[in-house]
Amino acid sequence: MSRSPGRKQENHKISRELFVLTYGALVAQLCKDYEKDEDVNACLDRMGYSIGIRLIDDFLARSAVKKCRSYSETADMIAQVAFKMYLGVTPSVSCSSATGNEFSLILDKNPLVDFVEELPAERASLCYCNLLCGVIRGALEMVHLAAEVSFLQDRLKGDAVTEIGITFLRKPEDRKHRRNK
Amino acid sequence: MAVCIAVIAKENYPLYIRSVPTENELKFHYTVHTSLDVVDEKISAMGKALVDQRELYLGLLYPTEDYKVYGYVTNSKVKFVMVVDSSNTALRDNEIRSMFRKLHNSYTDIMCNPFYNPGDRIQSRAFDTMVNSMMMQVC
Repeated sequence: MSRSPGRKQENHKISRELFVLTYGALVAQLCKDYEKDEDVNACLDRMGYSIGIRLIDDFLARSAVKKCRSYSETADMIAQVAFKMYLGVTPSVSCSSATGNEFSLILDKNPLVDFVEELPAERASLCYCNLLCGVIRGALEMVHLAAEVSFLQDRLKGDAVTEIGITFLRKPEDRKHRRNK
Repeated sequence: MAVCIAVIAKENYPLYIRSVPTENELKFHYTVHTSLDVVDEKISAMGKALVDQRELYLGLLYPTEDYKVYGYVTNSKVKFVMVVDSSNTALRDNEIRSMFRKLHNSYTDIMCNPFYNPGDRIQSRAFDTMVNSMMMQVC
């Protein structure tokens, strides 16, 4: 075992400002490196994806949640447990399609944009928090739920709220993981 | 209530100047510019003293017949200069200090904006709103 058995799982806290400033510096540097907003968005998404595929294990270990039986349960789990655990905010979930595949998370407070007032004029289509979309996409993929995640509304672009849309694509061949009771 | 508020960078060029629009703005620019000498004098006089909140606030730099000029310098040598109307005697030292503190807080918020490069002119709506609230209400 990598951890000694007597040691409790400590919650190592770091400063929120440090995290927000680090993320801001990351986005600002990407803006300097790439000219087009789409490239920056794609890069943030890729980074988020690689974080998500690793973060899911940490999340499952720390939250010990049961397997979700439906897409809406999954969306609720993301909003109420995952966001709360990692960002300290709880977005509200709404289902936006009849088929039950599309959900949106509405964030009224986004800690990542604490210090950003508005996007610079030449970066009007930048999705500042696109990393979050990548994280969600990567995490879902590791539990075999393919999804498309993107920003539907963004406060930085002038909308009223920040809304992340999750569209679950059809699951690959359903393999039943029934536990032997 | 201030008549003119200016933020000066370490290299002594203005990052932000805003004055009450009815007056001759050039006169205020000139006043602020000349007050920088007094600021430098006060900073050098402080020498190697420990910098704490009291010494960030420089106090009354110099009075003219119409106006009084107050100064405040941050640890990173960014200077805030405020020109207030002499006739407004109700303004006490504490109020000036609190105005400078608000300015300093807004300035740090701007610095935290990842898209702001230190040394650029300040173009922030939140900062403008805060400064407007401190300027005299002139119709």
